[in-house]
Amino acid sequence: MTAFLLQYLPIVIFLGVAVAIGLVFMVGALVVAPSAPDAEKLSAYECGFPAFEDSRMKFDVRFYLVSILFIIFDLEVAFLFPWAVTLMKMPHGAQIFAFTSMMVFLADLTLGYVYVWKKGALEWE
Amino acid sequence: MNNITDSLRMAHPEVILSAVTILLTAIGAFAGRKASLVVSALAVISLIGVAVIAAIGVPVGIAFGGSFISDAAASYAKVGIYLMSAVAVILGYGWLGRLSARQFEYPLLILLAATGMGIMVSAGDLISLYIGIELQSLALYVLAAFRRDDPKASEAGLKYFVLGALSSGLLLYGASLIYGFAGSTHFDVIAAAVKAGTGTGVLFGLVFLICGLAFKVSAAPFHMWTPDVYEGAPTPVVAFFTAAPKLAAMVLILRVLYTGFPDNIEQWRQIILLIAIVSVGVGAFAGLVQSNIKRLLAYSSIANMGYVLIGLSAGNHEGAQAVLIFMSLYMIDATGFFAALTALSRGGKPMETIADMAGLSRTNPAMAITITLLAFSAMGIPPLPGFWGKFYVFKAAIDAGQWPIAVAGLVGSVVAAFYYLRLVKVMWLDDSPGAVDKGPLDARIVAFASALFAFPLVMIGLTWIEHYSGYAADAFGLL
Amino acid sequence: MTIGLAHYLTVAAILFTIGVFGIFVNRKNIIVILMSIELILLAVNINLVAFSAYLHDITGQIFAMFVLTVAAAEAAVGLAILVTFFRNRGDIEVDDASVMKG
Repeated sequence: MTAFLLQYLPIVIFLGVAVAIGLVFMVGALVVAPSAPDAEKLSAYECGFPAFEDSRMKFDVRFYLVSILFIIFDLEVAFLFPWAVTLMKMPHGAQIFAFTSMMVFLADLTLGYVYVWKKGALEWE
Repeated sequence: MNNITDSLRMAHPEVILSAVTILLTAIGAFAGRKASLVVSALAVISLIGVAVIAAIGVPVGIAFGGSFISDAAASYAKVGIYLMSAVAVILGYGWLGRLSARQFEYPLLILLAATGMGIMVSAGDLISLYIGIELQSLALYVLAAFRRDDPKASEAGLKYFVLGALSSGLLLYGASLIYGFAGSTHFDVIAAAVKAGTGTGVLFGLVFLICGLAFKVSAAPFHMWTPDVYEGAPTPVVAFFTAAPKLAAMVLILRVLYTGFPDNIEQWRQIILLIAIVSVGVGAFAGLVQSNIKRLLAYSSIANMGYVLIGLSAGNHEGAQAVLIFMSLYMIDATGFFAALTALSRGGKPMETIADMAGLSRTNPAMAITITLLAFSAMGIPPLPGFWGKFYVFKAAIDAGQWPIAVAGLVGSVVAAFYYLRLVKVMWLDDSPGAVDKGPLDARIVAFASALFAFPLVMIGLTWIEHYSGYAADAFGLL
Repeated sequence: MTIGLAHYLTVAAILFTIGVFGIFVNRKNIIVILMSIELILLAVNINLVAFSAYLHDITGQIFAMFVLTVAAAEAAVGLAILVTFFRNRGDIEVDDASVMKG
């Protein structure tokens, strides 16, 4: 059982280091940094929300549009990782095919981006 | 590299459709709404073109390392799917024009769905099965909610999405179990592994897979989404939903069960028969109390899927052929029905309840005759197409020794006949509440063509359909 | 104690069940349904990757990549439909999603 738990020792160390570094910065900021708060400084940055409110409040539906676009472009790029790792290990003929396929895929994604742009989905107003 | 060239040649219809879709998206993105006519026209032309290519220009074989199968069954289904998609683009173009909300995305979504269905019917392994289904479903979810300002349509889209995604989840879970316990995603390797003996893990996965696919063809008890989606979604979109996607899903079920699990026939036959009998029952009895015609047709389609599954349970060449014949005839009938509904309106409001149809024989006799013909066909009155579909399906079931289930199917179809008769009675005997608008040309043409096929063209059409579906059924290479 | 295939399958089965229950039992918010769907798909991914490692076969991982990306597209479409629903209704409570009955 101890041998089994020892497998997780690196994670415990990692957590400890993470907590320690986090604390150092927070305490350091409290002790060292000058503090001159005013209303502008304390308000949320740009389009952010007030930090201390009911977490179940409704917020602007336009955020969803941004998140939709983010999800798609973020995850479709996941195809690039296995492709990049294996491309150089392929035989030459397959390499050309793999390269072309990925370029076509990226061109597709770019076209999607152009479509989104032309539709005005990237504009806030 | 010959390998890839050959593979691409076998996948020509889908490759062309994808390329056309990308091109049209680019055109639409830059030209905007005014490109709608060009995009729709090009979409129709390319859909008809790939239907022709699928019919005559595709070599038979296995492509992309077994993931993609090009055979007679796939070609047969693709011709039907692409032609029905072309009809859907035409109906949708006219419909959007009348709403003065002409958007070029509509034909693009149909093209994407058609590509997905093409991949579905050619799927040779679980991955391409999943990719095909999702490509089709995602486009269909959006189509259901295409009228963004209509609360009913967005609710229909939402319900379709939630239940469709759930069914994809079930299907995938089944696929992952089958992969794990059979050791491969290819249907032929799975079949070999099953023959060698794999234990219950694969069966467990198969049950999930069948549940997921039953959702896609809206067979009971996985039919909950159908009435709401049919009622809420725009009528031309429903005309599309009821035809091509169901054919694609049925061919996919044939492919999975007949080539992937031929040795499990005793096990899957029980599941399929259960689903079939529940579908026939739900479709027949729940349809009796409906007042909205689109809901009624939804229950009718559930019952029809039940009949198809009865034929499918035969598990032999005859069963596969019966499924293909039934689906071909049903597609034309159902599309005609919804096209007729698209064409009918009174004072600008679509006529959607049975009461709205009162006295149609006097206000719009041509449309009344059309609907009557299609309703008689759906009832299964000889010599209309609906009769022939049921004839082949029940014959296949009886020849395979499943006569109790065929009798149950017949009883169900007698019960279902009542609601079509009610519709016909209201149209011919009741008094009309007022004049009917002159319907749009595109929808009327589709409805009349479908009625013309129901009688008398079916006599000629059926010999063709029987001939080619025989070839197509050979492709499953069975028993 | 070693972590074997059975453990992964159990975790996946539990996640899958939670996801399915999340869809049917949840009576509050449609976003929760989207999260349940995501949970189901990720349970499937655990299954696929575990089988892939167990069978020494790369197909499962390829399958998982496809599931991952298609799930993203699915979530995007779901959110988009949800937004149109919200614009028509003004809220996204599950109980309100029933204009149509029968």
